[in-house]
Amino acid sequence: MTLAAKTIEEFKAEFKSVDISEVPYDKQGYHLSIESRTGNLLGIVNFLDRREFYIVDLFCVDYQDYLELVYFFNTHRELCRIKVTLKLDPEKPVAPTISNIYTIARWYEREVHEFFGVYFEGHPNLTYLFLHEEIDHYPLRKKHVPVPDGDKKLLNSFKPHEEENSFFINLGPQHPSTHGVLRVVLKMDGEYLISAEPVLGYLHRMHEKMAENKSYMQFLPNPARMDYPGALLFNLAYVETVEKLCGIEVPERAKYIRTITCELNRIASHLLWLGAFPADLGALTPFMYAFDDRENILDILEDVTGSRLTYCYFRFGGLYNDINEESFVDATKRFIERMRERLVMYDKLITGNVIFINRVKNIGILEQGQAKKYGFSGPVIRSTGIPFDMRRVEPYAAYGSIDFEIPTGHIGDNMDRYMVRMKEIEISLNIIEEGIKRLPSGPFKTEKVPKKLKPPKGDIYNAVESTRGETGVYIVSDESDTPYRMRWRVPSYSNLMTFPHLSRGVLIADAIATLGSYDIVVPEIDR
Amino acid sequence: MARFDIARFGAEVFRPSPRQADLMIVSGTVTKKMAPILVTLYEQMPSPKWVIAMGNCAISGGPFVFEGQYNLVEGVDLLVPVDIYVPGCPPRPEGLLEGLMKLEEKITGTRRFPGPETKW
Repeated sequence: MTLAAKTIEEFKAEFKSVDISEVPYDKQGYHLSIESRTGNLLGIVNFLDRREFYIVDLFCVDYQDYLELVYFFNTHRELCRIKVTLKLDPEKPVAPTISNIYTIARWYEREVHEFFGVYFEGHPNLTYLFLHEEIDHYPLRKKHVPVPDGDKKLLNSFKPHEEENSFFINLGPQHPSTHGVLRVVLKMDGEYLISAEPVLGYLHRMHEKMAENKSYMQFLPNPARMDYPGALLFNLAYVETVEKLCGIEVPERAKYIRTITCELNRIASHLLWLGAFPADLGALTPFMYAFDDRENILDILEDVTGSRLTYCYFRFGGLYNDINEESFVDATKRFIERMRERLVMYDKLITGNVIFINRVKNIGILEQGQAKKYGFSGPVIRSTGIPFDMRRVEPYAAYGSIDFEIPTGHIGDNMDRYMVRMKEIEISLNIIEEGIKRLPSGPFKTEKVPKKLKPPKGDIYNAVESTRGETGVYIVSDESDTPYRMRWRVPSYSNLMTFPHLSRGVLIADAIATLGSYDIVVPEIDR
Repeated sequence: MARFDIARFGAEVFRPSPRQADLMIVSGTVTKKMAPILVTLYEQMPSPKWVIAMGNCAISGGPFVFEGQYNLVEGVDLLVPVDIYVPGCPPRPEGLLEGLMKLEEKITGTRRFPGPETKW
């Protein structure tokens, strides 16, 4: 019996009056849908928590007549996506907090609060996370809803109260170690951290709002600007979701080329991190080597896609253009050969370096038990020993027909996260090699894809494994050519939010090492 | 080794503090939340100082300008004086290097080597 069927049975036994329905997974990307009410939400969430479900995402959709809070759950063992919804009155939206059950909800709820004006009863710190002081309305509401005066006080509400032995430091938003404009407020006792609180929104570029103003085609270049080192993977996440929503078939050749280029991009992104992570620890040499290798990938991808960094190569139903079989395959093969040699060198240069080992080993340990509470993904979760990878769990593109290994760590410290990524580079090389070997001939895109897409009414959730983890797109369509609501579930967000937990009581230099090991990308977190 | 090395033009020294810098490269979107911080950083730099706006976002808001946008400063020149604009989304490395050359030309009046010929 599948987990979905089992969950329905157990759910019906426990909650007699709540609607639970099975959803066509092929069309909508999730298995079950539960309509909860304010009174029984906590009971349902507790029920899922006991069954080892982790929280994928929490967000809100404004349907004008009512606001709908959407909670997505899934398990790490077997794919069973559950959507729990809660309808709220748009005049006075109040919902119970689930942050005492799922820790990551603390931040998701703050996000919902500032963009929709939903209040969460019992939330420990319902202050603004993203927005600036001049904002006077809730941006993602369909109608203009002004922010009440009482709430305006919460904008940038960080008011430090220094105690006798502690002081505050702002790490960022212009600190080089935060790789962008992330700000973390650190409460310090000498060299030790008492607590850390991320403050986001310094690069909030309104992608979700933009999606509601642009057609499906016009939004196509945006995802690449969210995750610039892994642009193709975000591009793929978006394109696949819209294809599923509209029922567009993709030819086999396009699927394989997507897989190959995405894996090349994954290596490029990991190489960028491989340069930046030791640089955070004070070793500047690996940066030069890693960027040298990365240039090779950028050359290969530039030939195919036409750009160096923010690729927009995939189209609905296929690709922008076909690869040049000779030059692309040759260059890729040469790169694989070169990269395998270089990996041996990196092993000697970094992995075996005693200073590096001492800086990262047994620091920033994440336990497996935290995975459910925070919903982190990608190399961060694999470092704790859970072999969770969307490419395997929910195969897309050509990953279903290519066999590959999933590397895992042992204890989930910084060293494990480093080792997992290094191993992933190696595995990506294997996937590319296998993909090239099997590359079928044929058309590279589907004919007859209309210029103006008008998907049927409904919603869909679809996820891919980007460089940093599970990247999900949720689209609500109202049959027009613009999405009614588009939500991005970005992996760096939930990865980063484990930082307050990991940095408690450690030295500031070690906290920097932990922050570097996440491989966060700020435009992706801020969206 | 890495291909685009600005050390060739004597611009290698990196300082993590604005108080030791004379050039600020604004390399991304400036949001309303970031604006006051950016101005503070500029004011912390000792004179003489210069600013390069790198990329369409820093120049004018780039692709993120739309009706009803609520979080964007449409061009960093609304906040601080900009000397060089480097267009592109994102600009190519050669573009940034050319920007540095142009800034040098602006400061010293001479150019290191002949620039690309413009035919228009």
